[in-house]
Formats: sequence, structure tokens, C-alpha cells
Amino acid sequence: METAALRLAGVSVGYSGTPVVTGVDLELGPGQRLALVGPNGAGKSTLIKSVLGLADILDGEAIVLDRTPARARELTGYVPQTGNLDSDFPVSVRQVVMMGRYRRLGWWRPARAADRRAVTEALDRVGLADRAGMRFGLLSGGQRQRVLLARAIAARPRLLLLDEPFNGVDAVSQEAIVRVLRELSADGTALVLSTHDLAVARDLADLVCLINGRQWAVGGPGETLMAEPLRRAYGSSAIDLADGRMVLVDL
Amino acid sequence: MIEPFTVPFMGRALTEIALLALICGPVSVFVFVRRLSFVSDALTHTVFPGVVVGFVAGGIEGLFTGALVAGVLTAVALTVLTRSARLTDDAATAVLLTAMFSIGVILVSRRTSYTSDLTAFLFGRLLTVTPRQIAETAVLSVVILVALALGARALLFRAFDPAGAAAAGLRIGWLDLGLNIMLALVVVAAVRAVGTILVVALLIIPAAAARMVTDRLVLMAVAGTGLVLAAGYLGLLLSWTASLRYGVALTSASAVVLMLVLAYLLLLPVRLWRDRRRPALPIPLPRRSPHELVG
Repeated sequence: METAALRLAGVSVGYSGTPVVTGVDLELGPGQRLALVGPNGAGKSTLIKSVLGLADILDGEAIVLDRTPARARELTGYVPQTGNLDSDFPVSVRQVVMMGRYRRLGWWRPARAADRRAVTEALDRVGLADRAGMRFGLLSGGQRQRVLLARAIAARPRLLLLDEPFNGVDAVSQEAIVRVLRELSADGTALVLSTHDLAVARDLADLVCLINGRQWAVGGPGETLMAEPLRRAYGSSAIDLADGRMVLVDL
Repeated sequence: MIEPFTVPFMGRALTEIALLALICGPVSVFVFVRRLSFVSDALTHTVFPGVVVGFVAGGIEGLFTGALVAGVLTAVALTVLTRSARLTDDAATAVLLTAMFSIGVILVSRRTSYTSDLTAFLFGRLLTVTPRQIAETAVLSVVILVALALGARALLFRAFDPAGAAAAGLRIGWLDLGLNIMLALVVVAAVRAVGTILVVALLIIPAAAARMVTDRLVLMAVAGTGLVLAAGYLGLLLSWTASLRYGVALTSASAVVLMLVLAYLLLLPVRLWRDRRRPALPIPLPRRSPHELVG
């Protein structure tokens, strides 16, 4: 058993030598839930991509499940934002979830009973087993997000990374996703999710990392999701109200 | 209806089309889902100078090698240019298309039999296909089908969700190069029969037409192949009947492509009808505001 699912020490990440996020220091244990919180364009997606080995680590050390990020790919799962996917793509819900098994299947081995079972179980878990034969693009935004979560579950990852999983998601789907994420972490899967929704972060995360170009704070939700660290991370998007509270406006 | 095809050159033309149908059905599905229609169009034009150089150097048999070299070079250039992200896909493709096509026209215009050569290159010579050409098309078809069978799963994942595919460990750059080379091979296989202009119809229309009637990828590939077969048969029959019975000179390759376009137009209402029958998407419940009050 590895000591940490994810360990970032003084990490700067970016593309083609240009840093997007700098100075990230954190450690995530198996089964722990980390929320990356920050405004749009803060570098949350880039940090997630770097853990997947798809963005460059420019400085510091990143260890994913005791391996380098690229070597850990077979143990990590990724749930991208659904907004980037073509809703006219002629592919069924079942086919999308089966993509989660492709790494096990290799280039051409046909799917076996175990693969089909894993797909059905994953769909069942997110509450969409009855939609298996439907075209993916016909689902609502929240249902699509749940299908992508099912695809990640079907691969049985030990570290799951989710990019803004609650963006454009209806309340029913949000509840379903939160429930599944809690179950996964109870089973020992470590989770990293980016969000700009502080309520979700407070509700779901064991660990919160406030980022906006650099790491501004890391720790439990009780210490990071407070006025002072948020004001530092969000800058002018954090507006003080007269009664001592603060509102964040994503400009 | 079968009789014209007992004439050897008609039989060979139909055999060539049947082989092309086998590969164009499945390949056009990937052109469709990757939205590579413009890239396919570019490939058909960039193969042109290769065809001319091949013809000048080795006559009609040199066409194949010339087209092959130009096609593969274009596939590599397109992949590299669009990957560096310095140019948009469209701009890079358009620059390559116009540059190579101009070179082809300059090369061919230096020949004395300029007009007849150009017509042959652009519109093909379906009725003069030789058994050797059929054999070459057959070999290319096998290569392409085997490559597709091996790569279909990865290509599909990459087409649907590039970020997810990369995160799952697939090499996107190599997959793109593989598909571009496969398209180049189809162009090379088809170029002598239907010409550089019309080959693009074989790469785009089958899947686009099949998509009107089905949401399933495998059915799209099968229906695409069926469409090319039917269009090939009807197109050849049409050009045969037009020229023999009515004295109208109708290029056979053009007739085949016309039939494909006709199939597309006939299937268009089916898509509209299916869309209307589809239940409206569920309206998502409003989510909580992202603007948060914190104490």
C-alpha cells in the first residue's frame, strides 16, 4: 500500500515552459478528498492535467501513487468537463462507459463478460442503468457527467481526478455524483476535484487547496474556506459586505 | 440490368468500385466523427502534384507511386502543422491544399497533352481500370481494413473525447498521424479510378448519408459501404445507358458520385423526421448559485 495517493512538493506546472500555477505543496492520502478551489482561469485544470502527465511539471516533484505522473496513468481515472464533448457524436451511453475498459482490453481484444459487468455495475452506481442504450448526446448535462463518472469507475482507479464535475449539473445529478464520490472514497479511492463552488468544497472535501496562479492556502475546509485566505486568493473578486461577511463574484 | 457488366471493362469498373466501397464505408465514419471533411478534401488536392510527377516519370503505372509518396508526405505535414498549434487546423490545411494543388497545375500545364491529362487526373478513368490496378486497390484495401480493425477502438475514443483518451494513456499525435495516413491511402487507392476531385465524395458522403438513418457507428460503416456499392452500380449503369442509348457522354465516375449525392439528398428528410420524433431533452433543475456567501 502506498503511503500517499498524491504528493506535490514545491510544484510549478504549465505548458511549453510557461508556468500556470506555482508553489503547490500538498499530500493526499488514500481515500481522501481534495478540492482545488479558485476562480475561472486560476489553473485548476492545468494542475489536474499535470497529475495525469498531460501538462508539464516545470519545477518541484510530483509523485502519484508512488510513481511519476505518466507512469501512474493506468491507476488514475479522469472525468473531463462534459461541455467539451460533441453532443451529436453517434455513440451510446454503454459505449462511452466501455471506453473506461479500453486500457484493460488493449487494441483489439473483444469485451468479455467481466468488462460488460463492470460497465453495467458502474452505470447502476450512478443511477443510469436504464439509459445504457441511449445516445450519449441525448442526455442532460448532469446525466452526461454521471456517465463520464461511470466510465472512470469502470476502470477501477485508485486516484480519481474530476474537472469541475458540478458545472451545469442539475440538483438531482449533483446529489448522485456526491453520493458516489463519498462511496468511492470510503472504498479507498483518493479524489481530486476542481470547483469554484465553495459549498460543494466545504461539504465534500477533507482537504482544500486554494489556487489562483499559485497556491494561496492548503488545509481543512475549516481553515481555508474563510474570509482572509479567500480574500488573498480571489483578490478583487472577493467583495466585503457591511455585516462582516463576504461574497465571491466570478468575473 | 446485369448485362452491361458482362462486358469486361464494365465488370472491372464495378469490381474497383466494390473494393473502394469496402474501405470507404468504415473510413468515412472516422472522417465524419473526427470532422475531417476538409482534411480529406485537402488530401485529394495535395496528392495531385504527386500524381502528375508519377505520370511524367513512369507513365500511367507511375501514378500509384507518385500519389502514394505525396499522400503520405501530406499526412505527416498535416499532422505536424496542426499539432504545433501555431496555425489553426483550417488555416494549415488550406495553405497546404492550395500550395500543392498549384504545384500540380504548373507541372501538368507544361505538358503538351495538357487538357486530356488534366481531365484524367481530376476525374479519373474508371472504365480503363486494369486488372493490375484492381490488384493494387485490393492490397491497399486489406492494409487499410486491418489498420482500422486494430485502431478503431483507440480512434473512436480519441474522436469522442481527446482529453479523456490522452488521460487514459493513448498517444493522440500518433493516432492522428495514423488516421491521416489511412485517409491518404484511400485517396491513393481511389484516385486513378475516380480522380482527385471526386474521391473526396467517397470519403465524406457515405457516413454523412448513413448518419441520417442511424446513430450506431457499425451500422453507419455497413450502410456507407452499401451506399457506395449501390451508387457504383447505378452510376455505371446510368453512364452506360446514357452513352449507348441516348448518345450523351456522361463520365462514369461523375455518374457514381452523382448517385451518392442523390442518396444523401433522399435521406435528408429521414433525418429531419427522426429529429422531430425524438422526445425533448429533459430540462435540468436549476442549480445553486456559484456566488457564495461566506462568514
